[in-house]
Amino acid sequence: MIRARLRPRGAGQFLFAVFATLLFVLPVYIALASAFKSQAQILSSPLGLPAPPTLDNLTTALERSDHLVTAGVANSLVITVLSVGILIPLSSAVSFWLSQQRPRIKTLLLAVFALGLMVPPQTVLLPIVQLLRAIGLNNSYPGLILSNVGGGYLSFAVFVYVGFLRTVPRDLIEAARIDGASDVRVWWQIVLPLVRPATATVGIFLALWVWNDFLNPLFILGPRQGQTITTGIYVSLGTYSTDYGQLFGIMFLAAAIPVVGYLLTQREFIRGLMAGASR
Amino acid sequence: MSPSRRSWARPTGLAPVAGLAIGLYVAFLLYPIASSLLTSFTDRNPLRADSAFVGLANYGQLFTDSRLLASLRFTIVVVIVVTIVSNVVGLGFAMLLNRPAVGYRLMRTLIFIPQVLSGVIVAFIWRSILTQNGLLNSFLRNIGLSDQPISWIGTPDLALLSVCVVVSWATIAFATVVYVAALQSVPGELYEAARIDGANAVGRFRFVTLPMIAPGMTISIVLCLITTFKLYDVIAVLTGGGPANTTQTTAFYLITVAFTTNRFGYASAIAMLLLVATTVIAYSLTGLLRRREADL
Repeated sequence: MIRARLRPRGAGQFLFAVFATLLFVLPVYIALASAFKSQAQILSSPLGLPAPPTLDNLTTALERSDHLVTAGVANSLVITVLSVGILIPLSSAVSFWLSQQRPRIKTLLLAVFALGLMVPPQTVLLPIVQLLRAIGLNNSYPGLILSNVGGGYLSFAVFVYVGFLRTVPRDLIEAARIDGASDVRVWWQIVLPLVRPATATVGIFLALWVWNDFLNPLFILGPRQGQTITTGIYVSLGTYSTDYGQLFGIMFLAAAIPVVGYLLTQREFIRGLMAGASR
Repeated sequence: MSPSRRSWARPTGLAPVAGLAIGLYVAFLLYPIASSLLTSFTDRNPLRADSAFVGLANYGQLFTDSRLLASLRFTIVVVIVVTIVSNVVGLGFAMLLNRPAVGYRLMRTLIFIPQVLSGVIVAFIWRSILTQNGLLNSFLRNIGLSDQPISWIGTPDLALLSVCVVVSWATIAFATVVYVAALQSVPGELYEAARIDGANAVGRFRFVTLPMIAPGMTISIVLCLITTFKLYDVIAVLTGGGPANTTQTTAFYLITVAFTTNRFGYASAIAMLLLVATTVIAYSLTGLLRRREADL
C-alpha cells in the first residue's frame, strides 16, 4: 500500500529532477556540443547534437599560430604545479609548527592568517604589482607563483591543515619525539601521512583556483608575457569574437583538465568543500 | 627530565620554514594592505615622479564620484539578487536531488560543473548565448518566437538581468552542494518523530529541516555574498562593464581606476572601501546568521 502510494510520486519526482537538472546544465551541453559542430550548425540548431560531429574546431584551436591553447595549457600547468607544489609543504609545515605553539601565539597568528581569507584580491593587486616590479619579478612566472604562495591561498591551506591537525592525537607526535626524531622528520614521516585527507582538499582546491585565476595572471604577467589558458582566451579572442566554433573548441580544451580532474576526485572534492566551507 | 628532552618539547626545527611562510605572507598580503592604506592618503600617480600627502581627499571623493556610487548600487543589487536566488534554488535542488539512487548521484555530479569552470569560461559560454547575434536570439528566431534580435547584454536593464543570471548559475552549483551535505547530516529519525507527531510536509520543513541545515545555510549565504561582492572576471568578459558603464561592479571599477587611469591614490581609497565593506559584511552577517541558527 505504501509502495503503491510512493511509486508514482517517486517517478514524478525523478522526472522533474531530470528535467530541472538538464535545464540547468543546458549551457554546459551547448558548449560541449558546439565544440564539435561547424559554425553554421551552431547557429542553425544550437540545441541539436553535432550531426555529423567535426574535429575541425579542436584541430584549428591546437594549430593556431599564436599557440594559445598549447602554450596556455603548458603555462597554466607549470604555474599550477609549482604554486601548489610549494604551498602544500610550506603550509603543512607552518600549520604543524603553529599547532605546537603556545595558545596565545597560535590564536594571534591564526587571526592574522584569517585576514587572507577575507581580503578581495583587487585590494592588494596594485601593491603586489609594484612590489614585484621593485624586485624585478613583474611580468614573470616566478613573480606570479610567489604572489600565489604568499597570498590568500596560504591562508586557506593553513586553516584546512590547522583544523585537521586538531583531530590528530598528540600522543602519536610526542611518541616520535621521545624516540629522538627531529621536527623536520616528525613533520615529514608522521604528520604528512596523517594529514593526507587535508592535503587532498588543499591540493584539489588550490589547483582549481590557481588554474582558473583570471585577475592575477592578467595583471602580473601582463600582455607581453605568455598567458595562462584562462587569461589567454580573454587576451587573444577578446570579447567580440563571433567565431563560435573556434571559441567553443578552445574552451573545450581549456576546461578539459579541470572538469576531468573534478570527475576523478569528486568524493574528495565534495568532502573538501564542506571542510573548507565550515571555516 | 633531562635538559635535552625538554628542548624537544617545543619544536624549533621547523621555525625557519614557518618564518619563510610568514615572511611571504607579510610581503604579499599584509604589506600590500598597509601600502594601499598609505597610498590612499596621497595623490600618487605613476606618470608623475613624486606624490603629495592629500589627507582624506581621496576618501571625500568617494562620495561624489557618480561612477563609483553607480558601481556600488549595481554591486549591491547583484549581490542581493544572486545570494537570494542561488540559496533558494540551491536548497530546492538539494532537496530534490538528496536521494541515494545512482541517477540522483549523477545529477548532483552534473550540477556542480559550473563551479569547476573558470569565471572566464562561464562568461564566454553565456556571452555566446546572450550576445546580439548569439545562440539564444538565433534559437528564438528558429522557432519563430521573435524576429527582432533582443539585446540581452546591450541594454542596461537586460544586462543587469543577464549578469544576475550568469553569476547565479555558478553560485547555485556551489549552494546546491553545500545544502546536499547539510541535508545529509540531518538524522532520519527526526523526520519519523515529526511525522508521528502529525507534522505535515511544511511542518517538517519548518521544524526539522530548516533548523538542522541552518549552519550550512550560514556558510552558503556568506560565501555567495563575499564571492559576488568581489565579482570581476564575469563582468570583464560578459559585458566589459557596459553598456555605458552600467554593469560595473566596484571591484571592476577599482581595477579600471588603478590600471587604466593610473590614479593610484584614489584607487587605493576604493580598495580600502572594498576591504572594509567585505570584512564588515562577512563578520556581521556571520554573527547575525549564527544567532538566527539558535532561534530556529
